[in-house]
Amino acid sequence: MDRRKLLTLTVAGTGCAIAGAVGVPVLINMMAPAFAESDIEDWRPVGPLTDFPVGAMQNREVVISDQKEHHKLSRRSLYVWRRSDQEFVVYSRACSDLGCPIVWDQGSEWFFCPCHGGIFDKNGERRAGPPQRGLWKYSNRIQNGVLEINVRSVPPMA
Amino acid sequence: MKNDEKPKENAVHAAIDRLALGPIWRKFFARRVPKARWYYGDGATLLLLLGILIITGFALGLMYSASPDTAYASVVNITHHQLMGWFVRGMHYWSAGMMVIIVLYHLFRHILLGGYLPPREGTWVIGVLMFFLIIINSYIGYTLRWDERSVYAIRVALNIFHRVPWIGDELVYFVQGGWTQGSPTLSRLYAVHVIFVPILLLGLASYHLYLVVFHGVTTIPERLNPPETAEEQKELYDRLKHHEDEGETFFPYTMVESQIFAFVIFCVVLGLTLALGPRELMPEANFTETSFPSEEWWFHWYSAWVAYLPPWLTTWFYLGFPLLLFLFLILVPFVDHGANRGLRRRPLAVGMIVITVLGLLTLTGLRLESEWTAWPTKELVPLPVQAQLGPDAQRGHQLFTEYSCISCHALGGNGGDVGPDLTSLKVRLSADELRDFIRQPPKHVAMPAYGERLSSEELNALVDFVLVAQTFPQKY
Ligand code: FES
Repeated sequence: MDRRKLLTLTVAGTGCAIAGAVGVPVLINMMAPAFAESDIEDWRPVGPLTDFPVGAMQNREVVISDQKEHHKLSRRSLYVWRRSDQEFVVYSRACSDLGCPIVWDQGSEWFFCPCHGGIFDKNGERRAGPPQRGLWKYSNRIQNGVLEINVRSVPPMA
Repeated sequence: MKNDEKPKENAVHAAIDRLALGPIWRKFFARRVPKARWYYGDGATLLLLLGILIITGFALGLMYSASPDTAYASVVNITHHQLMGWFVRGMHYWSAGMMVIIVLYHLFRHILLGGYLPPREGTWVIGVLMFFLIIINSYIGYTLRWDERSVYAIRVALNIFHRVPWIGDELVYFVQGGWTQGSPTLSRLYAVHVIFVPILLLGLASYHLYLVVFHGVTTIPERLNPPETAEEQKELYDRLKHHEDEGETFFPYTMVESQIFAFVIFCVVLGLTLALGPRELMPEANFTETSFPSEEWWFHWYSAWVAYLPPWLTTWFYLGFPLLLFLFLILVPFVDHGANRGLRRRPLAVGMIVITVLGLLTLTGLRLESEWTAWPTKELVPLPVQAQLGPDAQRGHQLFTEYSCISCHALGGNGGDVGPDLTSLKVRLSADELRDFIRQPPKHVAMPAYGERLSSEELNALVDFVLVAQTFPQKY
């Protein structure tokens, strides 16, 4: 190996070493949130069963996380439908198209999305507009007479 | 010292020398270039707007608080309480909107004229990268206001990321910085808006300018005698710039026209700021209120496009459109092998741009109407003055609102636009047909079946009303 080649290799080698030593940890650090655990259950109360008449669709507010620094965002409103005595359906208000906030229309018993014409029926099925699937539903359970939902059971942006 | 003036002059010269300003002057300002036209001023305008955005951004950054619980209040404070805050925010907002328009104009102009043809492919590619950075920042910018519009804008982006196959969830976690939208989401948007994108933009803009100086821009004689190769073009360019009539010195001859173009646009931005002020704020970011979010006006066309997509196409569109646009733009100079420059000889480019511009304008118009949106209302639909309703029809008039028919159907142009306006039906339905339709609409019609919900009296009343309504004038 001649001197010139050795020096070239030295320049390239030290350069890459520095770039790697800084770049790789930075990259891993930046990516970290992507590896958040996803199969977590987080059950939160919606209200006592007595609050929900059978057959009614109700708008409810639930606190979905205890983070202090964004407590305003942690309040979510969602729709609770007591389909029968023991059976509840809890809808996220995020439209399944691009996430705009759907609204329940009591007259037609349909949900309207204000953005691109998404319409869903009482069962959460898409009836019009670009949504490709029905509304997101929270899994729910009844615990000691209180309706609870698993706030991690809908996609992370809903 | 005897002479007082000499050392002063020397100091100036020394400064010029130590700062090596001479070469900058000669290579950039005093260089000879082929004559250009006034409409070449869009580049200078973009530079000016970027400058305004950065300077106003400096000021905004000093007061803005990138934390979800205080961000909105800080924007309110800047706008309403800080001296000249409304002006700074207004200039920032309108410069951003204007930048989107001018960058489109710049892009379209170079497609029309063939500005990317050899040897300027590099200039183009850098430009395309900047185009996407500008669009990204024009999007993130309005999420930082942290009003309702902001959080739903974020959600729209997240929903698009969520459609990416296999890694949708992870991508959403990554972008929002956690399992739900929160404090890290805003930090990230803020960092990207004020650090990542501006630094990249400045670097790329400098390089873009360097290439513009190095390879020049497309010229009129190039259009008349299209050079076949990069070498030919360079020769022609060299000849032109030293030519007595075809060439000129960049400063002040070329620069004055660009500067005037930029100045006119600046006046528009200033005028809009003074007349309208900064973008008015919606209620603070929340996921609880009933709200009617909307994108900024420079993205209206996209929303309209989405509204008309069939569901099976949406995922393909959300992911494919930006990707294809990027590929198309990056690859244009390597696919277009024609030598022709100037619009007269580029019918395909002209056709494409005309269609694109018309498309953007039409879609924007459609979005402003948003005829696809149904919305609950408690109002009774207004009746024409001369309308006479019997008692049944009167009841029907109330039911028309009670059962939200009005959310989707208008009468005489008053009400929703999702279903047909009942005063302008092509075929008027008979009472029996109406009754059946309301009870159980045909499969393909997006209308709720009221069969189980309406009593037969109610149904009759409603049908009575609709029968009368069908005879109302089409506009009242
Ligand atoms: S977000 Fe609801 S239809 Fe697009």
